[in-house]
Amino acid sequence: MKIKERKRDGVAILELGGKLMGGPDAIAFGDTLKTLIHEGSLNIIVDLGKVSWVNSTGLGILISGYSTVKKNGGELKLLNVSDRIESIFMVSKLHTVFVSFSDEDEAVQSFA
Amino acid sequence: MTDPAQSQHVELRIPSQLLYLGVPDAILMELAGDLPASQKEIDELSTSAIEACTNAMEHGNGMEADRFVEIHFEFSPDRIDVTVLDNGCGFDHEGWRPPTDLLRERGRGITIMREFTDELLFDLLPDGRFRVRLRKNIAPAD
Repeated sequence: MKIKERKRDGVAILELGGKLMGGPDAIAFGDTLKTLIHEGSLNIIVDLGKVSWVNSTGLGILISGYSTVKKNGGELKLLNVSDRIESIFMVSKLHTVFVSFSDEDEAVQSFA
Repeated sequence: MTDPAQSQHVELRIPSQLLYLGVPDAILMELAGDLPASQKEIDELSTSAIEACTNAMEHGNGMEADRFVEIHFEFSPDRIDVTVLDNGCGFDHEGWRPPTDLLRERGRGITIMREFTDELLFDLLPDGRFRVRLRKNIAPAD
């Protein structure tokens, strides 16, 4: 999995790419979030547009990130969730946990 | 596949390393595309196969790279079967219950496989290997 980080209007946007499946991915994603939280960036968007697939371990990485950011008083929202990944969120009921957007402008403005 | 009216069998052995999880996905995407299956059906089966392989690597083979996961694909005109074998002794799949805490980080693999396949079977073979069988029926495209 690749992680590309950028900022827009005070919101940190993490663009993930490849496959989200646990192992080193969990450490890389967790470390990135910890750094952002340490810097005071608590409004975070995770862009899944370039993620080809997620397994249940990958879901765990996103849940862990969501919980970590929330515990620190922030919010983690999703952007560009593909149909394939959305269907996994539906069957695991995680669509009731994560707020997701298909438009980056809307996602960024939702933190205002 | 040269003749879509015939069943086609493909076998694969991958080391128990997560980086190989994309291989069964690639095979299904490539070969199921010749069948009258929707992208949604292929995605659901592939997601389930990835889950079965993840379990086989982690729980069956203990993520030991020199222990292999064996995968059989059977492509038929009206269904696709995927069989995943590992060297573990299985788990209590009959007593398994889905997690009730939505924020629990693990334990969703079986839910995903059950929801995304038409048949899901677990058994322990006489040779000691654990087997997961996934079946996805194919609805002819409109």
